[in-house]
Amino acid sequence: MPVYTVSNVQNLRICVVMVGLPARGKSFISQKIVRYLSWLSIKSKCFNVGSYRRQGAPRPSAEFFDASNEEAYKIREQAVTQAVHDMMNWFADEEGVVAILDATNSTRERRKWVLKLCRENSIEPMFLESWCDDKDLILRNIADFKTSSPDYEGVDPDVATADFLERIANYEQVYQTLDAAEDRDLTFVRMMNIAQQVIINKVETYLESRIVFYVMNLHIKPRYIWLSRHGESIYNLEKKIGGDSSLSQRGLQYAEKLPEFVRESAGDRDLTVWTSTLIRTQETAQHLPYKQLQWKALDELDAGVCDGMTYEEIEETFPEDFKARDEDKYEYRYRGGESYRDVVIRLEPIIMELERQENILIITHQAVLRCIYAYFMNVPQEESPWMSIPLHTLIRLEPRAYATHVTKIKANIPAVSTYKGRGTSQVGENEAIANKSLDALANPATSD
Amino acid sequence: MSGNGSEVNMDLESTTVNAGNHMARTRRRWSSTSKDKRPKLTDMTDGVHEDGELDYISPGQLYSTESGRLFHAGKILIVLVGLPATSKTLLSVAITRYTKWLGVRTSSFHVSEYRRKMMASVDYHNFPNDYFSAKPKTSEGRTKRKEIIDQVLADMLKFFSEDKGQLAVYDALNILVEERLQLDKLFSQMNTKVLFIESVMTDSEMIKHNVDMASRSADYVGWSQEDAVADYMHRLQVNKELYEEMTPKEQLTYVKYTNFGEKLVVNNNRFGYLVNKIVFFLMNLRDKKGCVYFARCGTSDNDKYVDDEMLNQEGNKYSATLTDLILKLVNERRAAQSSPFPPSIEHAAGVGATARSLTPTNSALVNNISSGLSSRSMSPSLSPLLATHASLRRTESTGNASMRQPVSGDGGDEDSFVVWTAPRKRTHDTARFFDEKGINVRQRSQLQQLHPGVVADMTEDEIKQKYPAEFKEWIKDPYHYRFPRSESYHDLAVRMEPLLLEMERMRGDILVIGHESALRVLYGYLMACSCTDIPSLKFTRDELIEISFSPFENRVRRVPINYENSS
Repeated sequence: MPVYTVSNVQNLRICVVMVGLPARGKSFISQKIVRYLSWLSIKSKCFNVGSYRRQGAPRPSAEFFDASNEEAYKIREQAVTQAVHDMMNWFADEEGVVAILDATNSTRERRKWVLKLCRENSIEPMFLESWCDDKDLILRNIADFKTSSPDYEGVDPDVATADFLERIANYEQVYQTLDAAEDRDLTFVRMMNIAQQVIINKVETYLESRIVFYVMNLHIKPRYIWLSRHGESIYNLEKKIGGDSSLSQRGLQYAEKLPEFVRESAGDRDLTVWTSTLIRTQETAQHLPYKQLQWKALDELDAGVCDGMTYEEIEETFPEDFKARDEDKYEYRYRGGESYRDVVIRLEPIIMELERQENILIITHQAVLRCIYAYFMNVPQEESPWMSIPLHTLIRLEPRAYATHVTKIKANIPAVSTYKGRGTSQVGENEAIANKSLDALANPATSD
Repeated sequence: MSGNGSEVNMDLESTTVNAGNHMARTRRRWSSTSKDKRPKLTDMTDGVHEDGELDYISPGQLYSTESGRLFHAGKILIVLVGLPATSKTLLSVAITRYTKWLGVRTSSFHVSEYRRKMMASVDYHNFPNDYFSAKPKTSEGRTKRKEIIDQVLADMLKFFSEDKGQLAVYDALNILVEERLQLDKLFSQMNTKVLFIESVMTDSEMIKHNVDMASRSADYVGWSQEDAVADYMHRLQVNKELYEEMTPKEQLTYVKYTNFGEKLVVNNNRFGYLVNKIVFFLMNLRDKKGCVYFARCGTSDNDKYVDDEMLNQEGNKYSATLTDLILKLVNERRAAQSSPFPPSIEHAAGVGATARSLTPTNSALVNNISSGLSSRSMSPSLSPLLATHASLRRTESTGNASMRQPVSGDGGDEDSFVVWTAPRKRTHDTARFFDEKGINVRQRSQLQQLHPGVVADMTEDEIKQKYPAEFKEWIKDPYHYRFPRSESYHDLAVRMEPLLLEMERMRGDILVIGHESALRVLYGYLMACSCTDIPSLKFTRDELIEISFSPFENRVRRVPINYENSS
């Protein structure tokens, strides 16, 4: 019997149809939703009509988006048709649950067309409009867009801004906002200036309400999140998993140096430290001069009957379990313990809290860090349990509109490696894996 | 709630900056004196209307702060707005239950309760009839109205200024712009944010249901239903003429809540996270027609924490009996509920409701009753459950462009029945017979039992011997204390919060099969139990717990499960 993250996923397929002028943060919201749901194992994918259009018109000028430009209109029409077509195939062939149609969808006619197609395929559309008249917010979005969009590759920034404003003006001429009276039969959400004013109409499932709540908590204020494992522990030295041991000598050294590292990276910023309830994370945080909170949800993956054993002992005592775990590490649940999926489900309130908070330093454990890291960096489930996250390393995440930037700060305090590759009971990284882990940390995963 | 305030304050100050729950635990709140002050609840009552002690820590609270206020939200007054029969009381009680559980010091103030208490000596027939109008015409009505409302306002002000209240919920009509602006001004001056929640109902079925409920309320004991309905409809009609709906022009922060969540408009949201959370809650809150049932899982041979076994013979007998019992209870209730409203309501409600106009969607609904494919897991004729009003009215619309897809399997319909089990084999094995009958069974990892840590499968005596120091701590505060490597009840509550929201959305019947620890937390929410009570709630295999819902409070019934004598 499958485990449900939310119970109504069965038989339910949702298409979140974005609505809004350019530079209203639609792509930001779309990518965040996909990241959040994928992380919760709800199959989701974003279909960005702009990237389809680019195949026919790689670097169009503003006139291209004039509604009276017939030839251009054809290309744009083709792009959206292709995107929707691919989306339907994805629902059918890959058992998709939530698709995001990321486009302006600015006219009622276009939305009606999407609605009809969706319903004919037993997909429920939820329209999500981002409406904004806050000039500063729009200009900030434009600044982000023109530096990251292939549309303006190599274009002078001032020219790009002027052109983009003209493009928006062209859309404005035909734009029809969602209307509480006229669109009353649709499931829709209309957010004005982020979440200052929100209309929520006919949200009829829990999954939809979760998406809406999540979007309401997003913010784009600049901030950092720091992640660190606890310092090297006595169990680490003994190659045992789980337990609640204290830090080793070198682990205590890391704890002592941590305030300095954090200050180098954070400057004078005020931040809050989150730890698990286990001794090793609290010992690691003991010298940090910030407010601290303990979360049970940040405790290490529970290895059940294998808690306190070395991998070699596990292989010997439970050879079948040992093999089963290597075959599907994400789903494997230790006898009397947890799977990675279970950890993700219990981390969900932490993620919601993280989204709304500003600067946070999290000191936790290998498996939990893998899950949190996977959320921010969009690492797929097959890979996340195998990521190498070394001890005595501070990771800084900087969530930005289109990607999360990562910086890795290595403390020069030696520690054992606790990494265990597939098909072996030996811990320790060979060079190839070590390099791979560096790559994984250096390349921010974007969602395309 | 007042009294020995100075001592309590000192206590609070000592647990400031780093106050995680581990800090909260060190406080002296479980001293025997503070326990004695609390009226002992029997395990059958809903505690949502009880006020906590000043340093009370509620079940789902994440951390405590010096001021006793959470989420950096400051003080908030929620003002309900709306005509009679728009579920204002239900909304205010539900919000109170939820925010209290989250650890926000909340109290609801119902004008109708104040009136009943303050005017207890006055016979209802002699009560000035225009008291119930927002603008009474007689001076007697005006005086009475002012007297009662002034008392409520005074108590709310006191709640904020003296009782460390963070959230007050004010349940009254508040249908005049003038009243609302005055409230906003009065409380803004006191550094309290004011959030209005306006309940608008245009759905005549909902109004009929509410009028039906009201005509059976405490006001109408001894009345014929016809007279009661007529009197209540009069109250509604008088105010309908005076009602000024909220608009952005008033420049207030408000949520307009139409037809119980069909539409929500959040206007001028300046208050951040706590308001977002309440909106999320309102998005999921539904009026429940069904009940929530709690049952333990059946027995397995070893019944050890780390073993993950299927049921043994006795366990199977238990599950078979449980399955039959619940289906019988649900069907009996559904049969009793299927009668339509009495004629007096059918007639009367036309006055109150702006009858819902037949939009194209609705007429399509009428014409397409049998078209489209059923996406439900089974056809109604095969279901072991009685068809209800709702099942008969429903239309299947898969593939039809003009209407929403049916929501299936998540319990959103009032005639649905869903079984939730924990991930342990013995709990979903207990649901096997439901599954065989085609009823939705869902395994929810959040229902995993409390992790016992090092004391797994030990008796109290064994714990006392092996971990004497820990045992002493645990006895002091069984809700927040964690044995080494274990979860506390509080940890359990935090991880189960998403389930509560989902449960609020489910309108039909739900059976939760779980370990005693998980059931305690869910029950603790639905019955607003305190932290002192939750760890000692009893759930045995001899009894099925049924919780039913009404606007002002939830009710519990215990039904015996006789599986030992069954063949």
